Amino acid sequence: MADPGRDARVSERYRTLGREEPPPELDAAILAASRRRHSRWAVPVSIAAVVVLAVGVTLRVQIEERKDAEEIALSPRVMQAPAPADEVARQSWRDSAPAPAAAPPANGAQESRAQELRAGSRKREALAEVTADRAEPAAPASANVVAGRISPSAPETPEQWLERIARLRDAGKAREADESLAEFRKRYPEYRMSEAMRARVAPR
Amino acid sequence: MLAYRQGDAGAFEVLYARHKGPLYRFVLRSVRERGLAEELYQEIWMRVIEARGRYTVQAKFTTWLYTIAHNRLADHWRKRGLKLVELADHDAPAPAADEPESRAQGRQSLQRFAAALGALPEAQREAFLLHEESGMSVAEIAAATGVGEEAAKSRVRYALAKLREAMADG
Repeated sequence: MADPGRDARVSERYRTLGREEPPPELDAAILAASRRRHSRWAVPVSIAAVVVLAVGVTLRVQIEERKDAEEIALSPRVMQAPAPADEVARQSWRDSAPAPAAAPPANGAQESRAQELRAGSRKREALAEVTADRAEPAAPASANVVAGRISPSAPETPEQWLERIARLRDAGKAREADESLAEFRKRYPEYRMSEAMRARVAPR
Repeated sequence: MLAYRQGDAGAFEVLYARHKGPLYRFVLRSVRERGLAEELYQEIWMRVIEARGRYTVQAKFTTWLYTIAHNRLADHWRKRGLKLVELADHDAPAPAADEPESRAQGRQSLQRFAAALGALPEAQREAFLLHEESGMSVAEIAAATGVGEEAAKSRVRYALAKLREAMADG
């Protein structure tokens, strides 16, 4: 296929129209979105790696313990049939807790682990409150229930925030939606929303 | 792009720096409305970020990027009922009263060229802009816009002919 070729005169005239570049704030918004997306990928990948490693170590320890069963006082957990690897992994995801310890803990250690988990849960709840306050200072508690909360362990992204405002609009809570939108614009003055999202969050 | 797909966040910045100007001008000259162009431009990059896992080695990044841009612009034109935007020279300032004649002629000639570019049928303008801004070959333009090479070649040729005509008038 022969190329129609470039017409040097047309190209030259075209160049004189200007060499516009995107505004710097648009560059910054796109690069920030790329970094956010990158870190969103990095977390699940590292969790998956930890889960795989922990399951492997756990199974190995269980096999070794079974060999020495007569000499070691086994914990109740070890007495059970070992769960399949994928079941162990699913359990870890369901709990949203750090990966299981390398070896099954003795009763005392299990209790201490449970305390750690409870403390972690309290911390997540506290973090959720802080996040909620920051995201929507003026909205009453009932509005939050109607709009639906984001996961307490994840900070709200601009996209999630806009989605929440759209839900407030859908629920007929115009005042809360206006306030939340004003707060959003204050916090993300350079954020450019799509036409579709703008239609959903704008006052009707 | 492969480095970015595999998790190298810095690779995106390199890609972005390389393609931002040409892509921005491609979108701006396609829709001829700065605010809209910026929205579409941002959405195209968001799609690149979201779809990075689907990038394959077979596709040259430039072709892949402009395929995404073409699809986004096609959505835009579809929403507008495939209507061409009215001719408008929003950015062209009025000539000053004391402007020298030669400069005024140059300005008019440039405005005629811009108007001719704006008046091209959408597909021809797109093919011309891809040719000029991204340096894509006819085969690459055909791949990015989902048409055969003959069709892509015709579009570039017709666009060049009309732009030459506009220059001759000046």
